[in-house]
Amino acid sequence: MLKVEHLTMVYPDGTIALRDVSFEVRKGEFMGVIGLSGSGKSTLLRCINRLLEPTEGKIIWQGRDITHVEEAELRAVRREIGMVFQQFNLVKRSSVMTNVLSGRLGYTPPSWSLINRFSRKDRERAVTALKRVGIPDKANNRADELSGGQQQRVGIARALMQEPKIILADEPVASLDPVLAHSILGHLEDLNKEDKITVLCSLHFLDLVQRYCTRVIGLREGRLVFEGGKEDIGQLSDKRFKEIYGEEAQRLGAR
Amino acid sequence: MANHLPAAPKGSPLHAILSLIVPGLGQFVARARSRGLTILASVLILGGLSIWTIAQEARFPNYELSFSIYVKLVLETGFLLVFLLSLRYLLTKFVFRDPAAEAFGTYGIAILFFLALILAQEPILSMAGRPEDLAQVYTGTALYSAAALAALWFWQVIDAGRVGALADENKLPSMAGAILIMCLLIFALGYNITDFDLPKAIREYKDISILFPRILWPWKEAFAYDQEVVEEFQLIQAPCPEGESGPPSNEPDPDEPWISATPTCGEIGVRDLSGGFAPGTELTITGGNFTPGMEVHILWKNPIGNPFVPRGVGETDITIDENGEFTTKLSIPSVVIPESTAAGAQIHTLVVREESEEVFSLRLSDEMKLALVGILETIMIGLMATFFGILLAFPLSFLAARNLMAPIVLPLQDLVGSIAGLAIGILLGAFATGQIAPILGGLEQAPIPIFLIALLLVITLGTLGFQWGGRLLGSLLKNLGTNASRIISALILGAMLAVPGYYLGQAFSRGALSIVVGEERAAASEVLLAYAGAVVVALLGISFGLLNRNPRGIPFGSLIYAITRTILNIVRAIEAIVYVVIFVIWVGLGPFAGTIALTLHTIASLAKQYSEAIESIDPGPLEAVNATGATRLQTIVYAVVPQVVPYFISFTIYRWDINVRMSTVLGLVGGGGIGFLLIQWQRLYQWELVGISLWLIAITVATLDYVSSEIRKRYV
Repeated sequence: MLKVEHLTMVYPDGTIALRDVSFEVRKGEFMGVIGLSGSGKSTLLRCINRLLEPTEGKIIWQGRDITHVEEAELRAVRREIGMVFQQFNLVKRSSVMTNVLSGRLGYTPPSWSLINRFSRKDRERAVTALKRVGIPDKANNRADELSGGQQQRVGIARALMQEPKIILADEPVASLDPVLAHSILGHLEDLNKEDKITVLCSLHFLDLVQRYCTRVIGLREGRLVFEGGKEDIGQLSDKRFKEIYGEEAQRLGAR
Repeated sequence: MANHLPAAPKGSPLHAILSLIVPGLGQFVARARSRGLTILASVLILGGLSIWTIAQEARFPNYELSFSIYVKLVLETGFLLVFLLSLRYLLTKFVFRDPAAEAFGTYGIAILFFLALILAQEPILSMAGRPEDLAQVYTGTALYSAAALAALWFWQVIDAGRVGALADENKLPSMAGAILIMCLLIFALGYNITDFDLPKAIREYKDISILFPRILWPWKEAFAYDQEVVEEFQLIQAPCPEGESGPPSNEPDPDEPWISATPTCGEIGVRDLSGGFAPGTELTITGGNFTPGMEVHILWKNPIGNPFVPRGVGETDITIDENGEFTTKLSIPSVVIPESTAAGAQIHTLVVREESEEVFSLRLSDEMKLALVGILETIMIGLMATFFGILLAFPLSFLAARNLMAPIVLPLQDLVGSIAGLAIGILLGAFATGQIAPILGGLEQAPIPIFLIALLLVITLGTLGFQWGGRLLGSLLKNLGTNASRIISALILGAMLAVPGYYLGQAFSRGALSIVVGEERAAASEVLLAYAGAVVVALLGISFGLLNRNPRGIPFGSLIYAITRTILNIVRAIEAIVYVVIFVIWVGLGPFAGTIALTLHTIASLAKQYSEAIESIDPGPLEAVNATGATRLQTIVYAVVPQVVPYFISFTIYRWDINVRMSTVLGLVGGGGIGFLLIQWQRLYQWELVGISLWLIAITVATLDYVSSEIRKRYV
């Protein structure tokens, strides 16, 4: 479904964030991306929907090379790819409803949405999405009135509005406590299982990876250093673990 | 200089000597290059500025003379300084031998030096030049700035020694001493250039002390006063033709005030060209039933009814006796009979006028009413300028926000197509407007509809052209391969740029070349230069297109950002009051000129502030909305605008506050509002009215200041 081939990303300041990364995500998978902070996880996810322009390599989305598609086509591609962020990235001063509806912008004629007009169907869809993540009563609250866990649910609802085929989740639970982390990942798992939405999710904690992911890749200093099923993570030797997390890393996260 | 001087023994004499000859040379040789150059530049600039300044005393400045006097003064004061320093060195070394004496260090020397300059002013100056030469320069400024330059020179000699002896180039001694001396020098020059004259200000305190009460407490003029006026008339015929006896003399009235005069027919006073004056017939005027003890005034009205006070023909201010009566004599004054009434009998009117004392009323005086209208106008100018400013600043601010513009990178062929489309769109819009305008009756008949149509057409067609041009060319060149498409795009770019290049060449010929070689010769080569400009710019465009190897294209957004910012900065740098001076030529004196000027300044200021607010937003939501497949415009509406609204409101209110303050002075140069009245009243020396304007300005500005800060607190 999604193929990444020899992806290299160099920032304008010369930092090499990704070096020759290749892997494939199959339909229906819940794929985890692990690695230290700074190992290139966020860059990788952002290259896939081209929030960042990769320097070299290809991104094949449903059999089509989207590495260089232009504006109009890119919009069409992006709306199939939902995204959930570590910092939720909600517009804090806007209502929850507006935030969720903004997930629909890729489908809306630009001139209509400029005056905050969405079709009745879209509004119904937004209410359904909020119900789906369990906060239908918060629709008219301002986004910054919500707790962190609720904000992330709004983030998921926003991604859901896109009717995505895949959701890229960039450390979706890193800013939340463990209980909330399970609740949020539970929602993503639900979408994965019920709606058959593929999930590509970067995570910090190995036990979360073991609990939710069907397959895992590991990054270290921009290189792909690990690829395997979730059983493989359980059997990670200390040596392999250190290959991913670096020499000084402790096995704290795995517990 | 705070270090213990003289420090020469610790330093390198060679470097010190080099710096003594050429300031900064020692430092330069000792590899403290920028330090050496800074010192040299400082000495040259400050010395030159001093010489220029002191020469301004003469009506025709003699700079050579000024130079020689200044150099001599620098040498003399330099010797004085060295003398004082040596004295101190000897005293501390041999006489006092007390470390405490060291405390009498640099500051002591500085004070001593200053005292010595004051005391020895006369001899030092007389050594520098003959009295008639000295009269051509500002001697005080010359002396003190020369002394400061000498001190600077001395400091840098010592500094060169120290720098020369330094092992580690990175540990240069502090330049604080030199900077202090330079500040003093600049201060001395500033004192002169600004005509700073404290003694005069103190001496002439009376001038302002008379004015101040009138300005500070002007409220008497703010109210109208009631006054009863009694006027009695006697008709007089003059000149008096043969056989005429004139109008009848009034009879005394038993109850009401009355006047009468005899005779009632006489000759007019005659004023000849050499200034001599022969009074007319003498009249005896009597009156009764006026208020005893009051003063009445005599006025004369000519045959067309214009009153004036007759001068030099008798007493015109007369005190009434205890019976309420008076008698006085008055000759007929010189009156110019207007031609229009020259035929027939000339009947003048003698007026006696009694004015009662002025009685306070609660009504406002006419001037106060004017001032109130003026301040209202001022507030409205500020309001309108802010309003129109927002309309344009808002869209501009997005173009001037780096975080929104930098990601806009277009492939070359798209950019070229877009620009071509934009140009075609704008030209089409202009052409269409030109076709429509006569139907509506031309600019004279329907300026606003035509302007709006032009705006609408140009913007719509321009935008459409921009969008479709890019897509069209992009898809046309798509199948040609990278290199072919690059070459074709570059050629089109060059062809397009040839047009502005042509005009650039022409402008160069008319604007720059004609200044140097004269208009005729420039005109002869104008066509050639225009074509040369076209070719050069086209070649530049082509090579730019060919050489640009950025795989993603041209950073069009950054280009627009840079252009917008530059224009905003230039427009903002000029104050509204300067624009008024230009705009009154365009739309005439009055508040409209002020409003346009202030609007222009507001657009630039607000757009800058808005764009800075945009640049400081949280990029997260931007990224998130972008990732949903939203267009750029949608991203702005959903992720940017909600974040910046509170800042925009705050900045806007603050700008309104500033604008009202600005608009109070726009009137000074004809921009309307209270300033317009203020400057008129000032020119008439009506200080109470000036005071009223100032009070109204102060009250308005203070109120707005308070209100705006209260509102802003609620938003940010």
